[in-house]
Amino acid sequence: MSVSNLLANWSQFRQAHPTEGDFHKEYKWAMAIDLDACTGCNACSVACYAENNIPVVGKDRYARGHAMHWMRVERYWDEDNRDMPDQGAQFLPMMCQQCEAAPCETVCPAGATNHTPDGLNSQIYNRCVGSRYCSANCPFKVRYFNWWDFPKEENVFADPLPLQLNPDVTVRTKGVMEKCTFCVQRLTVAKHNARNEGRLVQEGEVQTACQQSCPTNAISFGNMVDPESRVGKQWKAQQVDLAADKQVKDAGDESHEVGEHHSGTQLRGYRIFEELRAYPSVMYLERVRESAV
Amino acid sequence: MRHILRLSILLIGLFASSASFSADTLPPVNTADDLGPQVDQPIEFPHNRHAKDMGINCMYCHTYARRAPVAGIPPLQKCMGCHNGIESVKDKPRIKELFKHWEEKKPIAWKKVHDLPDYVRFNHERHVKRFIVQQDKPVQEVCGYCHGDVKEGTVARRQKPLSMGWCVSCHEKAHPTDKTAQATAQGPNDCWQCHK
Repeated sequence: MSVSNLLANWSQFRQAHPTEGDFHKEYKWAMAIDLDACTGCNACSVACYAENNIPVVGKDRYARGHAMHWMRVERYWDEDNRDMPDQGAQFLPMMCQQCEAAPCETVCPAGATNHTPDGLNSQIYNRCVGSRYCSANCPFKVRYFNWWDFPKEENVFADPLPLQLNPDVTVRTKGVMEKCTFCVQRLTVAKHNARNEGRLVQEGEVQTACQQSCPTNAISFGNMVDPESRVGKQWKAQQVDLAADKQVKDAGDESHEVGEHHSGTQLRGYRIFEELRAYPSVMYLERVRESAV
Repeated sequence: MRHILRLSILLIGLFASSASFSADTLPPVNTADDLGPQVDQPIEFPHNRHAKDMGINCMYCHTYARRAPVAGIPPLQKCMGCHNGIESVKDKPRIKELFKHWEEKKPIAWKKVHDLPDYVRFNHERHVKRFIVQQDKPVQEVCGYCHGDVKEGTVARRQKPLSMGWCVSCHEKAHPTDKTAQATAQGPNDCWQCHK
């Protein structure tokens, strides 16, 4: 693609997310995380470890950059203009954003990561050759490389821990990329049960592990195609559009600082790095500070 | 001239060595009709007696196939349900072995024949629903798509490769959705449908 072509068709660039055919006909899994409710307790992260057979790498390996957590809670510290420093922290749970035009998918040399008709970003471990190109291209840095042969060499899942491994999830071996899957094993079961009864998955029927464990109910997850879904209602209420790279909230108020509500709007919804045109499926609801009220 | 001679010797040598190497190391080609490895079961179970001669429905013993992802290996209790009442074969060696296990309250350690890798998810219920319930096809034919002609063998032996390409070859075909409808549909082609 030449630069002139790129500039001429800028509005079309990276918008080729699959929406035709079977895509999003029945399901489009999406998430909304209310940062106002998030207390940074890390329960979601712990639940994710348990659900998805993620090994605990330990402090040393973490320091070497061998971190392994599909869900991390990022802490942002902002003491500016604040009387009480303890009010300066805000937390942001970060996991694979399941982008519609995922940057990781286009660069995989083995085709190990693909887009599913449900709008998920699949990762097939036995196809992965560990080039880590996807991780390099991920703007959210939510893909993790498995550096250790955990089930065999490293005795992370020592007896009797293998008994608590989730049989619906592969125990990954060394040399593959892994990431959040929106608990696809639960989605598969829910879809299967629904299909047996000749219907679609209903709202509340399926939960992700992080959503289930969140004590403040900050995470909502569901099918955007379903008009009854809580997540769909939240997206609609915040006027966040899946296929847009700039939302109503941010339109026309460049003069305002990011994160402030001076324009009088009550819209809090945003997606991370929307302008990169990856079209993530996770919407965050901005935290309301006392200064903004 | 010397160059050509040297090159030809080199080529002949390479060819000979590669030929002998490939003859030694290449595994036999595994096609759909090849038989899988022989799995020695603790009791040689005659599938031919049960499925062919008696005409017992596969799902009578593999009862989970119609309601769960896995078909399940029948418990000893299932065998006894019938064999308690069949006097004519009670003194046959295999049935004696069966009763021995039953009296010792020891399950029979059947071995897996159709063992998929850990990263594969296969749902028996989906396939049973699709072909037996919706399309009304004979049970033994439907089970035979993947398990081969079980009723001809004594112990179950893998007959189909169960490789990804083999699964996909069937998923690419458009099958009728039910016995009367003209509509056809393919199996899913989405990686996360079968991989986990």
